Amino acid sequence: MTNACPCLTATLWGRLERDMLDSLVRWARRKSPWILHFNSGGCNGCDIEILDLLTPRYDVERLGILKEASPRHADILLCTGPVTRQSRDRLRRIYEQMPAPRWVVAVGSCSCSGGVFRDGYNVLGGVDQVLPVDMYISGCPCRPEAMIDGLVRLLEMIE
Amino acid sequence: MTRMTIPIGPQHPALKEPLSFLLTVEGERIVESVLRMGYVHRGIERICQNRNYVQNVHVVERVCGICSHIHTTTYCQGVEALLGLEVPPRALCLRTLLCELERIHSHLLWMGVLAELIGFTTIFMYAWRDREIVLDIMEELSGGRVAHAVNVIGGVRIDLDAEMSHSILVRLDELERQIETLLGVIQHERTFRARTRGVGHLSAEQVRRYCVVGPTARASGVDVDLRRDAPYAAYDQLDFRVITAEEGDVWARTMVRLLETIESLHLCRQLLAELPQGALTVRAPRRVPPGEVVSRGEAPRGELVYYIRSDGSDKPARVKIRTPTLTTLITLPDQLRDVNTADVPAVLAGVDLCIACADR
Amino acid sequence: MNVDLILEALRKTFPAETIEVRAMPVNETFVTLPPACIRPAAQVLVEQLNLRHLSAITGQDTGSEIELLYHFWDGRGLTLRASLPREEPHIATLTDLIPGAAFYEREVCEMLGVTFEGHPDPRALLLPDDWDGEAPLRQQPSPTPAAPRHPLPLPTLGEGGG
Repeated sequence: MTNACPCLTATLWGRLERDMLDSLVRWARRKSPWILHFNSGGCNGCDIEILDLLTPRYDVERLGILKEASPRHADILLCTGPVTRQSRDRLRRIYEQMPAPRWVVAVGSCSCSGGVFRDGYNVLGGVDQVLPVDMYISGCPCRPEAMIDGLVRLLEMIE
Repeated sequence: MTRMTIPIGPQHPALKEPLSFLLTVEGERIVESVLRMGYVHRGIERICQNRNYVQNVHVVERVCGICSHIHTTTYCQGVEALLGLEVPPRALCLRTLLCELERIHSHLLWMGVLAELIGFTTIFMYAWRDREIVLDIMEELSGGRVAHAVNVIGGVRIDLDAEMSHSILVRLDELERQIETLLGVIQHERTFRARTRGVGHLSAEQVRRYCVVGPTARASGVDVDLRRDAPYAAYDQLDFRVITAEEGDVWARTMVRLLETIESLHLCRQLLAELPQGALTVRAPRRVPPGEVVSRGEAPRGELVYYIRSDGSDKPARVKIRTPTLTTLITLPDQLRDVNTADVPAVLAGVDLCIACADR
Repeated sequence: MNVDLILEALRKTFPAETIEVRAMPVNETFVTLPPACIRPAAQVLVEQLNLRHLSAITGQDTGSEIELLYHFWDGRGLTLRASLPREEPHIATLTDLIPGAAFYEREVCEMLGVTFEGHPDPRALLLPDDWDGEAPLRQQPSPTPAAPRHPLPLPTLGEGGG
C-alpha cells in the first residue's frame, strides 16, 4: 500500500473510512430510530396507543426507539388522524424541519385515508395528501402490536 | 419589565394534542394568554347529517378515543328516547359497566400524563401499566382496547358469563391494591404536592360563571354529578359517593379523580353482583319519527350533552354535541394568569384536556 | 328546578307574549320566546332564580329559519328556543350574564352566520384561518356571507431544515 501512488492511497483510505462511517450511521439509524409524533386531527385513539408503546407492557425503548420532542432530532414522523385544514401547514412545517433522511409513517385508518371523517368539510384526507408516506399502518384505532410490526418492517426497509 | 409573547403549540412536548397558545409573559410570570383551537375540528356534527342513525353510532364513537363509550351511550340514549324504546335492564347494566371501566381507564391515563408532565415519570409508567388491566378487561368484553363498539341503538352487543364475571372481579381487586399504592405515594410525595398545591386555582364562583363541569368543578367544591342528579342507564339502582374537594387546585383535582377511580371500582363490583338476566337489545326501526331530544351523560370529564332532531327519515336532521372539555378550556386564561411558565404543563394537564372532544 | 316557578317568573316578565311550553325527552322543558326576549329571560333565570348553568347553545338551520336553543340545567333541563330570520340573523349576547356562553356563541356565529351583538371576542373558534366557504351548518348557500372573522395572528417560523 505504501509503495502505491500516495493520491490513490489517500483516496482508497478515504473511501474506506467513509464507507465504514456510512455503515455505522446506517446501523445506528436502524438500531435506534427517534420518533416524533404529530396528531393532525385525530380522535386520540391512535395517540394513546402510541403512548402505550412507551409503557411497561410494550416498552419500545428496549428496541432503541425513543420518542423525541423536537422535529430537529427525529428520524421518523408518526402521523395520526386525518389532516384538517388548520393542521396542514403545521404538518408540512414539521416535516421540513426534520433533517434528512426522514421517513413518514401513517398510523391508523384516518391517517391512511381520512377514515370515518373522509367527507368532512374541514378534512383534506389522509397524510399522503400533504406528505410522502413511507409506511401505512391501518386500524381504528391501530393496535400497539401493529405499530411495532410496521416500525420493524420500516427499519428493515431502511437497511 | 418588558413583555414577551411566547407561542406554544400546536406541536409541543407539554401538549398531548394540537392546540395553540399565545402566552404574554413578564419575566417568568404569565400576564395574558390567548387560545386557538380547531386543529382537530373534523366537522362531525355535519358528518352526522350525512350518515344514518346506525352509522352515526360509529362516527360519534370517534369524537374522542378516550371517552368513546360515553359518547355512544349518550347518543344511543337520545335516539332510543326518540324511538320510544325501553332498553332491557341487562343491557343497561352492561352499558353502565363499560361506562365505569372507561372512567377508570381515563382517570389513570390522566394521572400518568400529569405525572409525566411534572417530571414524575415513574408514576406515568405505573399508572399506565395498571391501566392495561382495565384495557384487557374491555378487550375481553368487547374485542377492542380503545374503541369498543359496545352500544347499539336498542341495547348492547356484548355479554358475559359467570366465569368472565369472576375473572373481572379478581382483576379489579388487584387494580384496587395498585391504585391504593399510587394514592399513598402521591399523598406523601412532597415534590408532587409542591408542584400541584395552589397551582391552577379556580374558585367555586369562577366554576359557576364559566359553567364548568366534571371533576374540575367538583374539586372547587361545586357538587354536581349527572349520575346522581339525573340518573341514566343503571345508575338509579347503584350506591356511590360523589367526591368533592375544596381547594380548587391541581392537587384537589388529582385527589378527586383518584378517589373517583376507587368509587368506580365499587360501582363495577355492584354491577357484576346484581346483573339481571334477560335480553340484550330491543329491535330498533331504521326511521326515527320526527322529534327532538336532549340527552346527557357524565363523561369522565363531566357533563356531556347531545341534542338530536329527527325529521322522520333515517338520517338525523341535527346532532349537536357539547363536550365537557369546552367548559374547562374557557377557564385557561384565568388559570394561567400570574402563573410561572414552569407551571404551565401542570395547569394544562390538571384540567384533563381532551381537544378532540372540544374541537369535534 | 321548579319548572312552574320559572314559567311563572317568565310570564310575569313578558305579560304581552304567549309563551309556548313543551315537555321533551329526556326530562326537558322547551320554552319558545321571541329573540328579543331571550336576554331578559336569561337575566331572570340568572339574577332572580339563581339558574346559572348553561350547558350549551344549539344553532340549527331548519330551512325556513335559524333556530337557537339555549340549554339550561339545574337537576332538570330547561331550553329556551328562539327563531331568527335566515337573512342577517342577530341576537343579543349573554356573555356578560353568563361568561361560560362565550365559546358557545362563537361557535354558533361561525357555523351558522349568527351575529351575537356585544360579544367581546367574536373570533372563529373551530374553523381554520383560511376558511372561505359558507357557514358549514347552513342547509343551502346562505344569502348573507358568514360573519366576519378576526384570525389570531400566528408567529411565522423561518423556513429551514430538510
